[in-house]
Amino acid sequence: MITTDNLTKQYGETIVLNQLNLSIGANEIYCLLGANGAGKTTTINLLLGFIKPTSGSAFINGLCVSEDYIKTKQYLAYIPENLMLYPTLTAVENLKYFSGIGGKNLNKSQSEDFLNEAGLQKNAFNQRISTFSKGMRQKVGISIALAKDAKSLLLDEPTSGLDPKSSNEFGQLLHKLKDNGVSILMATHDLFRAKDTGTHIGIMKNGELRQEYATKDISLPELEQAYLEAMNYKELVS
Amino acid sequence: MYKYNFLYELKLLLRSGWMQILSLLLLGLFCFATINGDQKVKKRKQDIHLAKAEVKESDANMLSLLDSIENGMEVSASRWTIPSSPTAVGNYHPRVAAMDSQPLSFVSTGQSDLFTHYVKPTMTGDDFTLNFTEIISPVQQLFGSFDLAFVIVYLLPLIIIAFSYNILSAERESGSLKLLASQPILIHTWVFQKISLRFFWTLILTAIILTIVFLFLASGSNFNGLFNVIIITTAYILFWFALAFVVNLRVGNSSKNAIVLLGLWVVFVLLVPSVINQLGNTLYPMPSRTLMINKMRSLKEEAIEKQDEILDNFLRDHPEYAINDPNQNRKFYHRYLASQKLVKEELEPVALEFEQQLERQQALISKFRWLSPSIIAQESLNMLSGTSTADYEDYRKQVIRFAEIWRDHLTPLLYNNEPFTSNDYPELPSFNYQPIKLQNNIVSSLIIMMVSIGIGCIGYIVALRGNASKLIVS
Repeated sequence: MITTDNLTKQYGETIVLNQLNLSIGANEIYCLLGANGAGKTTTINLLLGFIKPTSGSAFINGLCVSEDYIKTKQYLAYIPENLMLYPTLTAVENLKYFSGIGGKNLNKSQSEDFLNEAGLQKNAFNQRISTFSKGMRQKVGISIALAKDAKSLLLDEPTSGLDPKSSNEFGQLLHKLKDNGVSILMATHDLFRAKDTGTHIGIMKNGELRQEYATKDISLPELEQAYLEAMNYKELVS
Repeated sequence: MYKYNFLYELKLLLRSGWMQILSLLLLGLFCFATINGDQKVKKRKQDIHLAKAEVKESDANMLSLLDSIENGMEVSASRWTIPSSPTAVGNYHPRVAAMDSQPLSFVSTGQSDLFTHYVKPTMTGDDFTLNFTEIISPVQQLFGSFDLAFVIVYLLPLIIIAFSYNILSAERESGSLKLLASQPILIHTWVFQKISLRFFWTLILTAIILTIVFLFLASGSNFNGLFNVIIITTAYILFWFALAFVVNLRVGNSSKNAIVLLGLWVVFVLLVPSVINQLGNTLYPMPSRTLMINKMRSLKEEAIEKQDEILDNFLRDHPEYAINDPNQNRKFYHRYLASQKLVKEELEPVALEFEQQLERQQALISKFRWLSPSIIAQESLNMLSGTSTADYEDYRKQVIRFAEIWRDHLTPLLYNNEPFTSNDYPELPSFNYQPIKLQNNIVSSLIIMMVSIGIGCIGYIVALRGNASKLIVS
């Protein structure tokens, strides 16, 4: 469960996130859409506790991020836009390291099971990450989330730069996680991927959540129209 | 977390080639420095050995001449070098007053290229002009040649800086920090573990390499010495890792970290010792040695003019010499030694001022040495090696004492106008260098360790209380 309560972040006079209220339950994928600077990454950074809110609160599994900084991370997994792992370690070693420092000891076969579940080809398990494509690295990132048994997953532009096939595979993985009861928040520019993957969509602009939709209630053209209107791209709307 | 950091940090270091580079670099530097230091010690030993061999040869020659003289034979030698004269023995057959090398002298060789580690005080020579130039600048004494002390004090911090300046910033710059920080860990603790592991590996490698060079390259080293060098090195390494830890947590990107750490190296290794040296010279300037020698010369000239009067006064003070020589046959050296004694007494205040200023400088440096662990480390290594300022100062005093003993031993023969015979030879005094008792440097090493731990703790607490987001999101 991911919740925000009037979450606000201000740098000096500039408000980068203004009273954001979100509630993402289990089995939900919430896609945050918005242009650069809309406040998507700030929201994720606040949920991760990387930055402190000016006011309001963020909650993971009912725990306040500011108050239970370490504990909330036990329930949380995060995949950034460019997932950078240790290039000289193999996929198995990266998975074991990131799980291990988080307190979860994996043996080799467990690690391989998670990598397999994340869709990584078997012949890549013991290859160094330096030889991996972005899609393969994202799969290792998913395997870290799977190994952690995280109840909440935060994704920051995870499909940017992925080819359609990899992007589709990634979407399927997210669905699998959602079906296992994980709450997912994904920040993205990709309307198609948001419609295809998400259960809910929110459109942000200038740090504010302007509109929210349930994916099943809106078609892709309607979503596109709503997005362009929200962004004030009048010439494109006409 | 510690187990995983430990295991994977080692893997990362091995696969990136860092461990191999570090090992080879340390091995190369330590081996070269040890061989270099050992060569200097061997040269020092050889110089002393040659000087002693020269004395032995000269003594054999002297005994042969004495034997001929005592058997009433003619000898073909200059009149003033014939060894039946006590002044000829005192001046042309002096003993070697050598500062023997200590078992760990190769660690810090001092400025042995300037200082020969032996002198030959003569009967009529001036004690003040014995060549002890090395101890004129006490801080200069701290920095020697390319020996182990140089590698430990100067180069090891640079290697540590290269090894630790970007522990956190590299993760941030490569993009892996956010993934790390999303794990249930404190990033400060993670940095601490990572840097403590690098400290551990640097220490292990250094200790292993030091053991290898002590066992295989250095002649005369011992286990106790190795242990002491490792303790000093540990404290010094810890200090630089503590600084690197704080800089990693407090500063920003990799280039800024590197510049700050190099700046600290300049301050602690170069600037502070130079400033203290300058301060010592400014507050307690050394009297001019040239002026002292000039004063000695003018006093001697004055004394020469009044030599008869000086000799009369001398004999009045030493009636035992007057009584034993009914002929009162007084020559050049009788007058010279009497006037030399007077000159020495006249010069005493100047020499005293020289020594006092030196002591004041030493006291000042001793007081301010805590400003730089580099000074403490160098000083501790010098003390272990027997090449510290205190060692040279003590040696100088031992030589001056011996010069007096040498002169006093031959003076009665001169004033009693008695010849030096082969029976007197075994009684000639010889110089035995007594090194000063090795001071325990564990305490100063422990203090450096405590200070380093303090720096690390303060840095950790300040970072913990500060804005953690600065570490992750910049």
